[in-house]
Amino acid sequence: MISLPSYLFISFLLFVAGMFVMIARKNIVAILLGIELILNSAALNFVAYTKFVNNNLDGHIMSLFIIVIAAAEAAVGLAIVIRFYQLRESVHIDDATQLQS
Amino acid sequence: MNSTIVSYLSQFEGYQKFVSMASSFLGSNASGYITFLVFFLGAFVIVNVMALIGGLGTYAERKISADLQMRQGPNRVGPYGILQFLADGVKMIMKEDIIPSASDKFMFTLAPLLALLGVLATFAVIPFSSGLMLSDLNVGVFYLIGVSSLVGVGVFLAGYSSNSKWSMLGGMRGASQIISYEVPVTLSILSIVLLAGGMSFGTLVNAQSGFPHEWFILHNPFTFIGFFVYFIGALAETNRAPFDLPEAESELVSGYHTEYTGMRFAFFALAEYMEVFVVCGVAAALFLGGYKVPFDLGDGAFFTHTLHLPEFIGKNIGQVLELGSFFTKTLVLYYIVIWIRWTLPRLRVDQLMTLCWKYLTPIALFNLVGCAFWMYYFEGKSLYVLLFKSAAHAAGAGH
Amino acid sequence: MFEQILFLLSATATIGFTVAVVGTNNLMHACMYLLGTLFGVAGLYATIGADFLAATQIVVYAGGVVILMLFAIMLTGGAEDKKNRFGIEKIPSMGSTKTYIVAGASVLIIAMIVLKMTANIHTANKDLAVASTGNESTVFNIGSLLLTDHILAFEISSILLLGALVGAAIIARPKRN
Repeated sequence: MISLPSYLFISFLLFVAGMFVMIARKNIVAILLGIELILNSAALNFVAYTKFVNNNLDGHIMSLFIIVIAAAEAAVGLAIVIRFYQLRESVHIDDATQLQS
Repeated sequence: MNSTIVSYLSQFEGYQKFVSMASSFLGSNASGYITFLVFFLGAFVIVNVMALIGGLGTYAERKISADLQMRQGPNRVGPYGILQFLADGVKMIMKEDIIPSASDKFMFTLAPLLALLGVLATFAVIPFSSGLMLSDLNVGVFYLIGVSSLVGVGVFLAGYSSNSKWSMLGGMRGASQIISYEVPVTLSILSIVLLAGGMSFGTLVNAQSGFPHEWFILHNPFTFIGFFVYFIGALAETNRAPFDLPEAESELVSGYHTEYTGMRFAFFALAEYMEVFVVCGVAAALFLGGYKVPFDLGDGAFFTHTLHLPEFIGKNIGQVLELGSFFTKTLVLYYIVIWIRWTLPRLRVDQLMTLCWKYLTPIALFNLVGCAFWMYYFEGKSLYVLLFKSAAHAAGAGH
Repeated sequence: MFEQILFLLSATATIGFTVAVVGTNNLMHACMYLLGTLFGVAGLYATIGADFLAATQIVVYAGGVVILMLFAIMLTGGAEDKKNRFGIEKIPSMGSTKTYIVAGASVLIIAMIVLKMTANIHTANKDLAVASTGNESTVFNIGSLLLTDHILAFEISSILLLGALVGAAIIARPKRN
């Protein structure tokens, strides 16, 4: 039961769900939420492959950096969302039409 | 080998005999089932005892505050009013369970459960004694920091979902306070991890010994400062006074649990008192020698070899001594937490953030770098060893 | 046996909460379901012996990212969410249960095809996977790898985090006129 295909299947479902959330939602925070799901699926894939194929720790290091980048991305992204809301009073992605305030 | 409750029990003959008897009865290897059973019973007992300690914490708080204010305190139910918390619990259960109609029902019911879950999950790694440890995870302290931050999510959700202004302000204050003060707490724990060379509680406690000069608090000047940084940060993380801004009675009615009634309110109170016990226990384990007993009485070798007691009794006397050592240190810290609450006035929000980001975090970073330098220059020897060795060296040179 | 039970629980939690994240209309609830998904992924890490990674996942996500997201949702006007329907409500019998069933079935079929295509990877390394079932602690090895082989990436990520911290503080600060 604990084998590579089962992990790949779970990570595939996570990726599809993240993609769906990113496409179907119009709230910017929801899109960031979908990005978190996609990053998690990538990290899970790295760890599963490194366990069942390579059997070293490179995948763990890669996943660690993915988590670091996810945290940085969430912080900056949510700061941008809050600033955007202060300027436009909206978090709808279609209202983001200009690069400068 | 991880030292857990099962590995402690399996060194006795009776346990092995019991396992082999059960195996022959079932016709297959029963050690897995019995391991599961032992863990289940251990977790059950520890959670219930800790809930009892959380309940007694409310009694202790009222009694100590009464003592500090020269009052009587609760004295009607039971001897010295010690059963007051049971009476309160019965009252809480019998109260009407109100969910505000404008609230978000799903999250309103989820929030107290998250707060309680975050505290109860930490008991898996708390080292009560060398034998009574549910799981000696390799990432013990890290795991503890992670799951205890669920309390912050619970506080925030309670504030948001109640749909009340008091709750909202309390929840926002609580969440920002908890994630801010995690930084100095984690950094000061990290300096101890650096000295002990491991993140499991077994490694951290076994790097210390029974006497105060062998504890990590007196290891070097940086850890001495680090203890106070940890303690102040832990006070803020558990929303205790002087950092009880999320539930400040005089400004917000009762903060994030204004709208909660009955048992849901009791869950928040219970989670708070148990979390105080957890942070005091971690402080005792990391800085004050944990369960270590002087003269290595804890491993039972003295009782079995010198007093010629049977091995089972000798080892268990050692375990009881270790439990006593851990609980004494933890409860002294618990007393200090309550003492501080009834002594100091509350901080303002901007003072709280200033204290965290402008004072505690730089001090904790300085401590971390200082500990690294100490490891490099003095090869991790404690201050006592260095002084004693240099004194002995000087005395030897004098002759 | 315990690992298999843990795997089943974590996989069920991950998949169930992910479906809930996609399905719910309330953004605040989606965030809570995301917390469940992240805990499920941490459990999956624990089943393949990545204990340090599981703890990191819990610390970073439960303590940091989810609370940040809850803050952002609350500060940007609450939980109601607009869904992009791609105009499918104008086409008759689209967006109904039947279409969701068809979409789910096609997702499953594509997943099976992808797994079949990558099958030679895990059949070729079967003996290796069996040999590596022991789960020893990874903390020590990850620490030494981070400070020897991957030191450049480690330093760069620390600079990235510092930049993110300062940048987020500057961006979110209200402008003074």
